[in-house]
Amino acid sequence: MTTRLIINGEERSLTCDPRTPLVDVLRNELRLTGTKNVCREGYCGACSVHVDDKPMSSCLLPVGTLEGRNIVTIEGISQGDKLDAIQQAFIDLDVVQCGMCFPGMVMTLRAFLRDTQSPSRDAVKFALVGNVCRCTGYERIIDAVMSVVGANEVTE
Amino acid sequence: MATTQNPKFHSPADLNQALSLLQDLGEPAFPVAGATWIMRAPARGQKIDGTFVDLSAIPGLSDVDLAEDKVSIGAMATQDVIAGALAGHADLAALMMATGYTANPAIRRAATIGGNICTVDFAASDIVPALLALDADVEIVSPGGISLMSMTDFLAARPTLSRASLVTKVVIPRRGQTSTHSRVTLRKAGDYPVANLSAAITVDADRVIRSVAVAVGAVEPVAKRWTGFEKALIGRKLEAGEFREIAGNYTGEFEGRDDTGAPGWYRIRLLPALADRAFRFLQKRTA
Repeated sequence: MTTRLIINGEERSLTCDPRTPLVDVLRNELRLTGTKNVCREGYCGACSVHVDDKPMSSCLLPVGTLEGRNIVTIEGISQGDKLDAIQQAFIDLDVVQCGMCFPGMVMTLRAFLRDTQSPSRDAVKFALVGNVCRCTGYERIIDAVMSVVGANEVTE
Repeated sequence: MATTQNPKFHSPADLNQALSLLQDLGEPAFPVAGATWIMRAPARGQKIDGTFVDLSAIPGLSDVDLAEDKVSIGAMATQDVIAGALAGHADLAALMMATGYTANPAIRRAATIGGNICTVDFAASDIVPALLALDADVEIVSPGGISLMSMTDFLAARPTLSRASLVTKVVIPRRGQTSTHSRVTLRKAGDYPVANLSAAITVDADRVIRSVAVAVGAVEPVAKRWTGFEKALIGRKLEAGEFREIAGNYTGEFEGRDDTGAPGWYRIRLLPALADRAFRFLQKRTA
């Protein structure tokens, strides 16, 4: 069986078992290792990607159910050398530690800030319920997000 | 045509095709809705195995129709869509909360109401007690036709339903009740509940409770109505309070299940507090 997906703007044909979780296809077949393979239960958010513009946990998506869908991974968020505003804020505010949770955080937050006008700190925390970080204690992450909210620089 | 050639994965284009596949393929085949349960099989010590009959390509199964007298929710409607559709409707708050305030955002975009209520082993469902409290009916389609059964009857029948049958929608009557859903988790976000409770009431002009439905989930393997507590509340003024005390007299109706999340005695111990929280909420919402 061939499953056709559009991944980061490029049409790809996959011949793997259609029951394979998308995270494994991205990492093992397509070598897009920015999406992280952690809990494999949909709990931690490290495997978050956009499916038709919605953040989803790629560990729980059988690739065969995604025929024709538009997938964007962390590799597809930046525009060449120009990082997304959220990515840049994480660098500027020195937020990243081990790095495992951050691709998922960026994917969740990019969609959240696209869809939410002027969120409060609490609203950002609620949006990040599905993204677990064991390193940072979250406050710097929220600071970075609020700096982007203030600058209103999230681009489509 | 959406049916694929892979023997382990099929995407039927309509219900008849799905039913035929389930019947013809037999034991290894099962319907796949949001896939959030089956894809977590390794976490339960199982394999992701069997033949997937993916329902996502079948049209019309995701619709949410709100009418004055009833709500009809397609089995493939996801939790986030359901929560959004029911927001602002006090009578449906139990289901709105059970779908919108549970799991996490990504899970809510994938998990479906049909998959949730059809998973026999999922004791900690929030949606099941909400549907029990709201007196929901479940529509099931099989080669023999369409049937509608109460949520209570569905829960009893679901372990032995024909393999070639599919839940297609849930129908909730709207009777002017006010409802709510409360739950206790071990941590603040993302966890399955240790115990949950849905309640729906109507009160008269003197704020006397005229009808009440209370359903408890996660305590036993299958959610159920808390009938003793319900009977004790009928005819009481809502403002009389004492919900915790009254509920405490009826916890003997439950036999708590033990698992790695929590022991059974603790699940039962939580129920009076959950009842108190739920009915205080209803006091405010009906004021």
